[in-house]
Amino acid sequence: MIDPLERLLEAGDACSRREALRRFGAGLGVLGLVGVLGDMELLGNAAWGADTGAPDLAINPLAPRPSHFPAKAKHLIHIYLNGGPSQVDTFDPKPMLKKYEGKMLPSGNLSTERKTGAALPSPFKFKKYGESGIEISELFDRTASRHIDDLCLIRSMRANTPNHEQSMRLMNCGDERLSRPSMGAWLTYGLGSENQDLPGFVALCPGLPVADVSNWRAAFLPGIYQGTYIDTRKAKAEELIEHIRNPLLAPRDQRRQLDLLTALNRRHQAPRGDDAALEARIASFELAYRMQTAALEAFDLDREPRHVRELYGEGTQARQLLIARRLIERGVRVVQVFHGDVQPWDSHENLEKNHRSLAQQCDQPIAALLSDLKRLGLFEETIVLCGGEFGRTPSVELVNGKPGQGRDHNHWGFSVWLAGGGVKGGMVHGATDDFGYQAVENPVHVHDLHATLLHLLGFDHTRLTYRHAGRDFRLTDVHGEVVQDVLA
Amino acid sequence: MMKVDVLTSQRTRSNSLVLGFVLLLVLGVASVAASASVDPISVEDQAFFEARVRPVLVERCLECHSSSSKSLKGGLRLDSAEGWKAGGESGPVIEPGRPQDSLLIEAVRYEDPTLRMPPKGKLPEQAIADLTEWVRRGAPDPRGGGVELKPASRPAESRPRAMDLDQARRHWAYQPLSKAAPPSVRDESWPLGRIDRYLLAALEARGLAPSPEADRPTLIRRLTLDLTGLPPSPEAVEAFTRDPDPAAYERLVDRLLADPAYGERWGRHWLDVARYADTKDGVLMYGDARLRPYAYTYRDYVIRAWNDDTPFDRFIHEQLAADLIRPEVEPWRKAAMGFLTLGRMFDSNIHDVIDDRIDTTTRGFLGLTVACARCHDHKYDAIGTSDYYALYGVFAGSESPLEPPLIEPEDSSAEIKTFEVKAKPFRDAIRAMLDAQYVLLSETARKRAGDYLVRAATTPPDPLETAIFFMSLSPEDLRPQILARWRRYLEQRSRPDDPVFGLWGELIRLPESELADRSAELVERWLSKPRGTRPGQLNPLLAEELARTPPPKTRAEVARFHGDLLLKVHGASRSTGSSPVASDASEQPARDQLLAVLTSQDSPCYFPKSQTDNYMSRSEKDSYRGKIVELDKLVAAAPRAAARAMVMVESESPHDPRIFVRGNPSQLGDPVPRRFLRVLAGAEPTPFAHGGGRLDLAEAITAEENPLTRRVIVNRLWMHHFGEPLAASPSDFGARGAPPSHPELLDDLAAGLERRGWSIKTVQRAIVLSRAYRQSSVDRPECHDVDPDNRLLWRFRRVRLDLEAMRDTLLAVSGRLDRALGGRSVDVAGDAENRRRTVYGLVDRQSLPASFRAFDFASPDVSVERRPFTTVPQQALFGMNAPFVVAQARALATRPEVKAAGSPSLRVRALYRLVLARPAEPGEVAAALDFLAAAPDQATQLSPLEQFAQVLLLTNELMFVD
Repeated sequence: MIDPLERLLEAGDACSRREALRRFGAGLGVLGLVGVLGDMELLGNAAWGADTGAPDLAINPLAPRPSHFPAKAKHLIHIYLNGGPSQVDTFDPKPMLKKYEGKMLPSGNLSTERKTGAALPSPFKFKKYGESGIEISELFDRTASRHIDDLCLIRSMRANTPNHEQSMRLMNCGDERLSRPSMGAWLTYGLGSENQDLPGFVALCPGLPVADVSNWRAAFLPGIYQGTYIDTRKAKAEELIEHIRNPLLAPRDQRRQLDLLTALNRRHQAPRGDDAALEARIASFELAYRMQTAALEAFDLDREPRHVRELYGEGTQARQLLIARRLIERGVRVVQVFHGDVQPWDSHENLEKNHRSLAQQCDQPIAALLSDLKRLGLFEETIVLCGGEFGRTPSVELVNGKPGQGRDHNHWGFSVWLAGGGVKGGMVHGATDDFGYQAVENPVHVHDLHATLLHLLGFDHTRLTYRHAGRDFRLTDVHGEVVQDVLA
Repeated sequence: MMKVDVLTSQRTRSNSLVLGFVLLLVLGVASVAASASVDPISVEDQAFFEARVRPVLVERCLECHSSSSKSLKGGLRLDSAEGWKAGGESGPVIEPGRPQDSLLIEAVRYEDPTLRMPPKGKLPEQAIADLTEWVRRGAPDPRGGGVELKPASRPAESRPRAMDLDQARRHWAYQPLSKAAPPSVRDESWPLGRIDRYLLAALEARGLAPSPEADRPTLIRRLTLDLTGLPPSPEAVEAFTRDPDPAAYERLVDRLLADPAYGERWGRHWLDVARYADTKDGVLMYGDARLRPYAYTYRDYVIRAWNDDTPFDRFIHEQLAADLIRPEVEPWRKAAMGFLTLGRMFDSNIHDVIDDRIDTTTRGFLGLTVACARCHDHKYDAIGTSDYYALYGVFAGSESPLEPPLIEPEDSSAEIKTFEVKAKPFRDAIRAMLDAQYVLLSETARKRAGDYLVRAATTPPDPLETAIFFMSLSPEDLRPQILARWRRYLEQRSRPDDPVFGLWGELIRLPESELADRSAELVERWLSKPRGTRPGQLNPLLAEELARTPPPKTRAEVARFHGDLLLKVHGASRSTGSSPVASDASEQPARDQLLAVLTSQDSPCYFPKSQTDNYMSRSEKDSYRGKIVELDKLVAAAPRAAARAMVMVESESPHDPRIFVRGNPSQLGDPVPRRFLRVLAGAEPTPFAHGGGRLDLAEAITAEENPLTRRVIVNRLWMHHFGEPLAASPSDFGARGAPPSHPELLDDLAAGLERRGWSIKTVQRAIVLSRAYRQSSVDRPECHDVDPDNRLLWRFRRVRLDLEAMRDTLLAVSGRLDRALGGRSVDVAGDAENRRRTVYGLVDRQSLPASFRAFDFASPDVSVERRPFTTVPQQALFGMNAPFVVAQARALATRPEVKAAGSPSLRVRALYRLVLARPAEPGEVAAALDFLAAAPDQATQLSPLEQFAQVLLLTNELMFVD
């Protein structure tokens, strides 16, 4: 078959053959041409610098960029136990609750969303794990048995408000209500992506968490940094990403279309000289073509060996976390994995049953993910963050004035854990009071957590900024302190 | 231990011991001070101080502990490093590095009942932890010896000082418009008008010359897409290219400016600024009912206003105050106020809603980032918190009526009539519930005054009282907002000379343990004061009650006593009707004074009816909002509903704003009048005189002496015509914004706008008729070397079509574009068969379609000055795979002109003409014929011609404008 560019030129139209060949190089063929020019160079590789302010986003906003300073970690997986897991039933043992069972806590109850009553001891067994001897509950037995010495447990988290919407946004975007970019968007803006065939930031959830898309929004950052939301209730890979294939066209025919398109675009470009925007659009079609295969492949779990799939187990959490690993493996910058639709961990009632079954869904896959990251050598370059938007009260929630079987929201104190590159494993940072109500020792506010995560990924949180509406905005606004204690 | 000693020294220490300690501490402090002067404070320490320490000191300590305090307490100043190093009456209060030994830390911990600071309530734990950490770090204090400004009690207008304002006004953007004549140029033959003179002069100064005029096909394509967002038809291109008349271009300009598609294009540019969306935020919360069913009337207003060439000053007035303009505006113009009402809901946080309105108004019209002054004075511009809260007051005095007013008759069609009849019972039910709840809840608030007083007197403030917009309340719960207001109210009124709450203040400030012993004496002292209702007197009814009752022993009893008295007066007033008559007429003022505590608009019990739902218990609130949602759904589901305007109206009474210290609504600072920005309106702007002041604000924005508004809009126009603005940050003309590349040109355009009665189209006409606009976009290396960014406009800038122009172009060239004007929003992203112009597409604020985001659509969350420009593979994927694009390709391949063509090469030529409005070159035909000749794969369901049509739709030639 004749190369369409050759054909266009041989008929001797407005564009001189010599000019076109000088510009594009003879005999390479359209495909080869794009290959030679190379996507990265073609799309620009804007450096990130404090002095330059911001990278040139116009050409390729996802080109990888260096961080402020070298860091071990390059990726983030956020396992989001949305709804508010109870710290005193998971990662923060409080035997004193048993002593006060059925009695009001001597320190009084703090104000939370609803009324709560007497102390409610945890129905779960706690034990010490690993060399570090950190004590956590049976709910995360598998994770703890294998990985407690990898975890850095923060037991002194603090948020501002005992409401899901606000606290979800605070945890994800650093502000409770205003339109601020999510942490994933900031990181993708800061670092670009190592895989141009996939989105830089992916949010996985079977359904939608509370505060829905605001959790992964780009706000005033360019839209490309917004998390690509994947509804993991859909099982088929090609249903997961919009416009990822054209069901009416065989790949061969689409390839021919793109060859012709590129030829027409090259011809169009010849009299127009060097125009980066024209070049970039030409290249974007080649990237898109490859993305179709790459994206489908990344989401296709059938390509994993059986023993790996078995390691993660069955169910949505297993699928989500395995997808997360495959995305990280392929250079995606940030993957958020929400446990479920709306707020599954929100156990106002029947806490024992709910927490048990929720933990059962994710304990094995979380343990598997950590092992798998290690197996693939990805553990050291990935940060895993696991936790909810707040915790729960150690006191029982009152239902119509009477003690129920659950706990209310609690922003005064809760637990999250970190693992992976640059994080000190097998340690506990901070503590709540005797009953697990509020963080009293080394409190870590959500802003501090953000500052720390940005630090782990190579950023000074005060310098990762974006000029908007007259201000240099940042994830931590005017707050945030890096928690030095957790850094390896 | 030292701690104990220092503490006891406070009251009973012998002089020698105190002296010893002071010496010890002074020595310690001196050595720290000396080392501090050697080691400057680290960046971290400075940041920590600024973020964590200074705010606490300013908000909670400096009222009593600074050199500008009305009465300095304990002789201690915390407003400078010298201040605390010198210490107070009890000696030094900070032991750098040793929080456990520092009196200040001891005091804020509230552990010792005799030493509790601040006296009005314990600091939040975080603040205590921060102060402790600061001391542990050695109390690094970047403040010099100077005087700390004290926001809470300094006069509201003290900063920016007059001198600062004069200084600030020297900034180019505040200067009066330059009235200088256009410059002279060497090449007098080139300029067609004033615009060209400014540009040419700048080019000549750099030794450059402009580019030649673009050819006619390029010109008509550029102009048509610019003015209407649509490509020119092949016929139009051919006719214009053939037209020998030199005035053909001018006629084309006039035709396009009169095309209704003009308003659809330029109205959309304005909608970016207005952060237009069809929905509320909160997908899960509102579900299908997140649609604002009447939002579209604002979009239609904007389009029509631009098409009508509504004078831009009037356009501003209508968007801010259409309800207040007299004589009354035509009904459709009332929809203009969607500018204010279509922002985000911020979980019903009214302060954020108002902030969004201030931000959109000031950045949108004035190019000033006033919202930066919400928490502190603007860091770069001469905009103070007093300016911000002056505007806060304007918007806080307005509300959206429950029922948006009709802007078309309820019976304008049978369909509409049917719907409105059906909707009536829903509307009635909502209104009835609101009325009933308002009466119930405000009466409950008054009746439970005693409970509120007890709570306020016996518990520390809970931060949640000011973040309550979402709490689940049961009917008997005290309302956190009301409680917060009581606390504030009591704080303000418990001055020593207040005839009602003066005694309250003195009793409550006693330590609980001493209250029982000392209350009798205090009451006695108060009873010795003259009776009356003026400062320094004692309210006679209060006196009567005091004399009759045993003195209170606890704070709760103090509160209960006051509560009972208030209720008694209130109860009497209820039983005698709304204006109570005292048995003894001389008691009337005393009665009124007490009654006002519960019933005036300053009362903590008062809230406007429009905010009733925020006070409802969870189940009532759910039921009430459920009814509204139901109605919204009903509207959305109806085939037609009468159009309504999403207006604002004046509240029951204007809002008298006070500064929120550090943006915190529970920390009230000084009152400010509702007025315009001082940097624009002079050091003492006249307070807005009419109602809430929205119309006054609009008039101030468009006043002749304010040059910003005109500069800002002409700069936006320029940006859309030329691809780059003259001043690079179109919504920030402040000190941090970029100065214009051609300041005199910007001023000339701005002055021209006003000269021509604020007619936008007149300015645009001048712009597109300029020779500068008609230049070719071909690159010229010799110019490129001098001015690579083309800031001087030595050529026209090539631009890529934005989302709307891209999608509309595909529809237009495939012959399927539906040119219907206005109406409800439609699903243009999900429905591949939708043929409406993209401006009519539903903008779902939270779930913006992926394709919108991929093509850089303006975020509808905040006012957008310009869209980002990105090139990403998701855009290409859309072109390759989106069912919408495939549908256009198919339609294109079957257009009559293509079908009628008798051969493959004629079909190719027909497609080239339809898509690119030009004849195909021989090489192009040959390449196309090669493509068509190949047999498609079995799995392929598109014919080769359809595949080819799709390729043409994706070309750079179609997607870029030269």
